Amino acid sequence: MDAYIVHLERLPALFNAWAKDSALSVPSATPEGFYEFIPWNGEAEIAWDYDLIYNPPKRFVMPAKETLISFDLKDLQAKPVFEAPAQIVFGMHPYDVKAISQLDQLMELGIPDQNYLKRREATVIMALTPQSVAETAFWASVGAEEVQHGFDLYWTKIGPASFLVEVGSKKGEELLHAAAPPTRATVSEKEAARRAKIKVNQFARRKQLLYNWEETPRLLAKNWDSPLWRKNSETCLACGSCNLVCPTCYCFDLVDEVDDKLETGTRSRSWDGCMLTSFALVAGDHNFRPKALDRYRHRYFRKGKYIYDKIGELGCVGCGRCVRACTANIANPLAVFNALWEESTHAF
Amino acid sequence: MAKKPKVAFFDFASCEGDQLQIANLEERLLDILEHLDVVSFREVSSRRGEDYDIAFVEGSITRLQDEDRLRGIRAQAKILVALGACACIGGINCLKNFLAENVYREEVYGQYARWYGTYAARPLSAVVKVDAEIHGCPIDPNDFARQVKELLLGKAPSNPDYPVCVDCKKAGNICRYDLGRPCLGIITRAGCGAVCVTQGAHCWGCRGLSPHANLDAARLVMDRAGFGRKEAQNLLRFFLGHTAATL
Ligand code: SF4
Ligand code: SF4
Ligand code: SF4
Ligand code: SF4
Repeated sequence: MDAYIVHLERLPALFNAWAKDSALSVPSATPEGFYEFIPWNGEAEIAWDYDLIYNPPKRFVMPAKETLISFDLKDLQAKPVFEAPAQIVFGMHPYDVKAISQLDQLMELGIPDQNYLKRREATVIMALTPQSVAETAFWASVGAEEVQHGFDLYWTKIGPASFLVEVGSKKGEELLHAAAPPTRATVSEKEAARRAKIKVNQFARRKQLLYNWEETPRLLAKNWDSPLWRKNSETCLACGSCNLVCPTCYCFDLVDEVDDKLETGTRSRSWDGCMLTSFALVAGDHNFRPKALDRYRHRYFRKGKYIYDKIGELGCVGCGRCVRACTANIANPLAVFNALWEESTHAF
Repeated sequence: MAKKPKVAFFDFASCEGDQLQIANLEERLLDILEHLDVVSFREVSSRRGEDYDIAFVEGSITRLQDEDRLRGIRAQAKILVALGACACIGGINCLKNFLAENVYREEVYGQYARWYGTYAARPLSAVVKVDAEIHGCPIDPNDFARQVKELLLGKAPSNPDYPVCVDCKKAGNICRYDLGRPCLGIITRAGCGAVCVTQGAHCWGCRGLSPHANLDAARLVMDRAGFGRKEAQNLLRFFLGHTAATL
């Protein structure tokens, strides 16, 4: 893979060049002391050492609400609606890049999701090697500490004011040349980036699964009847926060809205979550996951087994957002998987 | 729809803020009213009609004689819609329910306390069947428009049955609990877009309990976050005095 060296003082010129044709978002500290991607305004202070972006970056490829169809109530015609603004997300940590790569795979399966794919096509992702690790994160123990694809450029800080930039796509390489041409990285600079990654990954391993993550599907299959599901779900508020903040959760609901003249309307999708009581409610008032226990267990099976059965990866990238978002303090995949492991006999 | 449905607005113990919110729709209101025949609406017209299909009723029931009037409205209306927190859940009028009757009577009517009948405040549904609810204190005019359009299209008017946290996450807010503040969004019915949190406050519970609210868990969450029984109770009584009185 090609790699270049970019110095900090060259960044504003690059950012300004990119922001001409694309909506550019960069990581920045919020007034409350958290981090968010915010639009680049020419001078925003970049939070190079952020630990976790508060809200999941899935909104760039699947907004909380998005129109899919517009219709006319008089002539009963419907038209598809596609919105795919050119955008660049700069500074995404590898586990979040992995989450989007996972969405890429899932949205292509079966009937490809055209709205998603068009938006994704117009999105450039620039990864960034983390320098801090959130208190609740455990990405280094679920195979999400590094990514080999899913990014256009991959930035790693290797000196006080220098970055090694690995190229992931032709588009990325072109963008890197948008201002004065960058210099090619030497072998020792590549080595420095490798060491930076190893260092943060080692630190991130302080939060660990007690077993190899690839055992998770089998661990869950054995524990369908564990008493843990009932015990934990008793405090579940059915608030859906754990779903909505998850970078890999993609379920949505459909809503139809009409204008005030009752002449035209739109069909939109908006985020939904399997932890909400009526998520599995179908015709005839039948709910196939009526109890908190059913829904709570289902979410862990999605994260640890069902997604794995489809694409061979865990549905959890260990970002730790759900751990923080759950006010009831029960939405912690690491804690749940480890508790199941400790309860189990391990006689696989 | 062949004939425009006749619509009337009524109010009981309330500030009429919800009818004002409807008036605030301004030019949008004209489009919506194209499909309705408003026979009585104090906030926008002096017309008074007694023949109506849909009754929008604001306010809570606080006196015995209110019950008769409400039953009369119910008997006439094909569809009765509760408008706003006072009508839907009792709202802040229910604060008085936690005082002794002689205390709140004196507070309100002073030396004339004995002249007026009054009892514990309650939502419309404690007296008559309610067909639809437009929640909030005050209601969101867009929510009013949405539900009226659902009625006009022959759909059953609907409300979200999940907590405000869903709206709040969609809005991208920082959770109040991450800031060491309490919030009733964990048990309150969504549909407002979590406006109060978005504006920097917390959820007060004005849209009533979410139908599947886990109150025990909510108490635990507030307790762990450092808001003990007394604080939690005060917060819960603000809007939820009728529905969560036992807390
Ligand atoms: S399940 Fe939780 S920790 Fe795992 S990816 Fe989703 S939000 Fe992050
Ligand atoms: S965030 Fe916690 S309380 Fe809310 S639905 Fe998820 S597990 Fe339940
Ligand atoms: S601020 Fe309130 S409504 Fe928003 S997520 Fe937190 S508890 Fe829920
Ligand atoms: S956030 Fe809570 S108090 Fe505010 S409008 Fe919504 S339901 Fe009412």
